[in-house]
Amino acid sequence: MTTAVAGGAADAAAGGGPAFPRSLPGQSAAGGPGLLDASSRNTGSATQGTAQIHTNRAVGRLGTPSAWAGTLSLDIDRRAGRSIALKQFHDGALRILRPHYLDDSGQVCYVVINPGGAYLGGDKYLIEVAVADGAELLLTTQSATKIYRTPNDRAEQHMHLSLGAGARLELLPDPLIAYREASYGQVTQVEMDSTASLVMAEVVTPGWSPNGELFRYDEVRLRNEISIGGRLTVLDNLLIRPGSGSPVDSSAFMREYTHLGSLIVVDARVDQALVDELHTLMAPLDPAGQLGITLLDGPGLAVRALSNSTETLNEMIAATVDLLRGRWYSQKPLNLRKY
Amino acid sequence: MAPAPSYLLPLLQLSDSALPTGAFSHSLGMESHLHEGIVHDEDSFANWLTQFIRIQLVHSDGLAIRFVYDGETQAQLFRVDRELHAAALPREIREAGVKMGARMLHIAGSIFPCTELEDYAAAVGAGECAGHPALAFAIAGKNLGVPLEELLTTYLFSTVTSLTQNAIRGIPLGQNAGQRVLVAAHREVRDGVVRIQTLGREDFGVTAPGLEIAQMQHERQRARMFMS
Repeated sequence: MTTAVAGGAADAAAGGGPAFPRSLPGQSAAGGPGLLDASSRNTGSATQGTAQIHTNRAVGRLGTPSAWAGTLSLDIDRRAGRSIALKQFHDGALRILRPHYLDDSGQVCYVVINPGGAYLGGDKYLIEVAVADGAELLLTTQSATKIYRTPNDRAEQHMHLSLGAGARLELLPDPLIAYREASYGQVTQVEMDSTASLVMAEVVTPGWSPNGELFRYDEVRLRNEISIGGRLTVLDNLLIRPGSGSPVDSSAFMREYTHLGSLIVVDARVDQALVDELHTLMAPLDPAGQLGITLLDGPGLAVRALSNSTETLNEMIAATVDLLRGRWYSQKPLNLRKY
Repeated sequence: MAPAPSYLLPLLQLSDSALPTGAFSHSLGMESHLHEGIVHDEDSFANWLTQFIRIQLVHSDGLAIRFVYDGETQAQLFRVDRELHAAALPREIREAGVKMGARMLHIAGSIFPCTELEDYAAAVGAGECAGHPALAFAIAGKNLGVPLEELLTTYLFSTVTSLTQNAIRGIPLGQNAGQRVLVAAHREVRDGVVRIQTLGREDFGVTAPGLEIAQMQHERQRARMFMS
């Protein structure tokens, strides 16, 4: 951990405040009604099977839980060849399921759930995950993240991820579904060691109305800030405003496509040959869509795909994720739905 | 009659579309859309150019110039350089920034030598900064005393002119059609300059998926006139 959740590195440049200004106070003292409330509710997760849950942990790293609609904090470490949660904390409208081990690799899988079922206007969610040296985490969601109408204030999700030496994180959430008049901002800050491995995917789709038409959401912003050894390496800042005309009219550059897929890999093993191989693998999966893949500094790679189908984008992302799992870790293709 | 401001001639020289920065060999994604047939005549190119101004020129180059102009310390400049470089995900766009940045730094340093440009060039040479033509332009303009609005307008229109010259050769378009596109771009450039001054940190480096994909696809295009 090198920076505060939303302050820190990105804000040091000329010109300004946090990427997403918000009302989080500074580091709060432990104790107080908010903390007690959080701890008592937290006993639910303690019974779900993880051995070492610190329900009474200080919430300094998260700030004041009550400032958020939901908070989640997870510290993963490696013990006797297996990755386990050393600490976990949640509050409000975020929960986490008991850990899974999908194979004998030692990689732990956690599933985030949003019991409310959707993000509403003004809701702000905070997720902090630390993966210690050599630990391996697959983080996913139980279902799609739905953004409903946000009349006054957009919904936001802030993630702060830190990866130690040799740590590995696969962040593979279900699609983000934005409904009519929805505005959503998502900021994911990653601080990783140069020997760590990061794979993060995202699919953004419009919601369907009851009569089968696609809703036109107002705005989705996805911002990923990835720093390696304290040096900002990837600033991935997408803005989608379907058919708005201003200031970034994606109707021209997204053209007739409605669904966006994005995948970022930061890993020292990525090279141009792998980028070319993945292009050959993915391109035939959606001949009617648009695919771009490029080598990043880091090294790493970025994939952007436009399509008219969530399934197609999921297939393309899965093809890449599975290839990397097999090649780098001798793991079998991922099947999250078998549990 | 008031004399022309002392910065005018150096600014005209820096913004000349014939300035040897290598801009003539970078389409910045336009060639992919040309290859696909989306850009094929005066109107379709004008539409492409409008989108490019609204997305990349406003949110990356233009906002970077404003941040450098408003910044007070070298650390702020270096941070903008890092963010601008990191925000260019398509490899060819990063490389275009580095290549044209080095040329612009050299040229700007010869037209208007100043310590800030020398320090930035040294940081680029040492690998501490990546370099970008917008930043070299911003430093020179700031030290020349060019007002921010004029500096932004000049940079945006200079880039628009280079891209239009490329379109004239690439599509191809007639010279008169090129001039009509440029006249039509005046309004977009003016609006862009206003917009740049209303944007905040979260807008820096914002891009659109279709533009990025075109810029990435260009790497795989077989017959190419342009390096990006």
